[in-house]
Amino acid sequence: MTRDPGRLAGRLQGALALAGGAALLLYALWPWLPRAGHAARPRTVVFYGFSILGEAMNGAVLPEFARRWRARTGEHVEFITSFAGSGTITNQLTLGVPAQCALLSLELDAERLAKAGVLPPGSWRRLPHGGVVNRTPFVLVVRKGNPKRIHDFADLARPGVKVVHPDPLTSGGANWAILAEYGSAARRSPGPPDQKREAGFESLLGVWRHVAAQAASARAARTQFENGFGDVLVTYEQDVIGDAAKGTLPGEVVYPPSTVLSEHTLVVVDKNIAPSERPLIDALAAFLWSEPAQTLFVQRGFRSVDERLNGGNPHFGTIRDPFLVRDFGGWDRVKKEIVDGIWKDRVMREVGR
Amino acid sequence: MTGNAPGERSRARIPVGLLVLVLLPLILMPIAAVFVFAFKGGPAAFWKAFTTEDAQFALRFSLLIAFLTAAINAVLGTWASYVLSKYRFPGERPLAIAINLPVAIPTVVVGTSLLLLWGPIGLFGKLLEPLGLQPMFKPAGVLLAHLFVTFPYMLGAVKPLLDELEVTYEEAAYTLGAGKWQTFRYVILPALRGGLFSGTLLTFAHSLGEFGATVMVSGNLRLRTQTAPLYIFAQFEAGHVAEANAVAAVLAALSFAIFFFLLRYSTGPKR
Repeated sequence: MTRDPGRLAGRLQGALALAGGAALLLYALWPWLPRAGHAARPRTVVFYGFSILGEAMNGAVLPEFARRWRARTGEHVEFITSFAGSGTITNQLTLGVPAQCALLSLELDAERLAKAGVLPPGSWRRLPHGGVVNRTPFVLVVRKGNPKRIHDFADLARPGVKVVHPDPLTSGGANWAILAEYGSAARRSPGPPDQKREAGFESLLGVWRHVAAQAASARAARTQFENGFGDVLVTYEQDVIGDAAKGTLPGEVVYPPSTVLSEHTLVVVDKNIAPSERPLIDALAAFLWSEPAQTLFVQRGFRSVDERLNGGNPHFGTIRDPFLVRDFGGWDRVKKEIVDGIWKDRVMREVGR
Repeated sequence: MTGNAPGERSRARIPVGLLVLVLLPLILMPIAAVFVFAFKGGPAAFWKAFTTEDAQFALRFSLLIAFLTAAINAVLGTWASYVLSKYRFPGERPLAIAINLPVAIPTVVVGTSLLLLWGPIGLFGKLLEPLGLQPMFKPAGVLLAHLFVTFPYMLGAVKPLLDELEVTYEEAAYTLGAGKWQTFRYVILPALRGGLFSGTLLTFAHSLGEFGATVMVSGNLRLRTQTAPLYIFAQFEAGHVAEANAVAAVLAALSFAIFFFLLRYSTGPKR
């Protein structure tokens, strides 16, 4: 190799790198470059939701609302969305994320927001159905053929069963799962309240002794299960029945004889809504309880708050003894007595030993 | 190209083979896996995953932030290096340590502290709020986080060169009547070229891949503040492995190109 061609090659390479860098910058800037015929900025709504909502909201409900709003007013609405564990979203809202609406998986998270001054206390209860937009029962997902013969939460206590569970610290779903695991046993126990509580405690202890992986959200837990971790996943029916019906779920859905129906709460964050945006946000909130939106939710695997619509999805399984959080006195009591009083203070202490 | 004698080459076979064997599961195979999974469904599926609105936004947004971060920190870092290398002052050492810290602090901690400082409930945030300014959960917040996290790279690349630079050159320039700016432009800057180049590229590369601080300060809003790494994480968490890996493969290819030029340039002149 002589000196001159080497220098030439070096120059060429330098020029190439420079051109590459310039091309990259142009690519990055492209959508923001001023061009003729660029549409005016649409109106934007920032919508936060808990993890499993992503597809239903982005793929069906929000586009349908945007279509209707456009037909009615001629305005183009764009949705900026973010989906994560309900607790994660709640923390982000507390820290000032500019969301105008959020659909939380747990009323408790709404109460945390009220305590942090993000919402007026109890404001969501003035919405239709006390703020509850839709429901879905908690189910178990097992490996194909159900090799560990799991039919109920009690079966998770058997030796050798590995459970994939979302993390109660960041996932609303995990809190519902705790209530399901506790409640299914407590309701079956015939004795006085004390005995029911002990039955619930034993059930929780059995499950949590076998939790092998904890994920930040229900959706993340499902991804772990799909990647081969664990024998059983505790999750929302909605998150798995769609894929189970299509045959793309690497597992089978098992309906426990008794389980909780989770209820998902909408909060409207007034302080992030400019007066000019008010009609748009109010229309969006009202739309979520309208028959078209509820039908879309049912198609996407959520159970409607309007019982008449729930025949619309043939894949919904039957549960012999479904229950709601109000059967245990509402989230305030459940949080204090069951999640903190029993799961955190007794079960986790026992498991940690 | 390395002009080794044939004997030397065969002697290298065993240690090199051993090294590759160890690096295979540690580094090489994980990199390969990104590409394998990205193209698992064929090039058409890759292209479809790569060209979705969300993926394109995330990639472009990441690149813009990386360009801005690299440009700002190139200037800021060079200036900081110059001041630290030229002047002796009390507290010099603690200051030098403090501004080198950002690479060592866990990035999630950086994100949290930025939120607590600039967020609506933070010290600066409280002052900015009435003015209608709110950098957190906006592109500005992401930029702030990236500037913080990548600051030490420029310092690490430029300061050693400045420390080595003989003061006499600078003094000679002054004696010959050069001004401060002229001296900097014609005497100091040319000596720093290699450092500027590698420092800027490192800053760019790190910014492109930054995750921990970004996830805290961005709010992870799709089409607004979602960077490419956040997009990859969100897609992976949602079980969309192909979508995640399509963007991951592009990021990996970009980093490869960056480091190719970095190594090429920093070793080039010696050949």
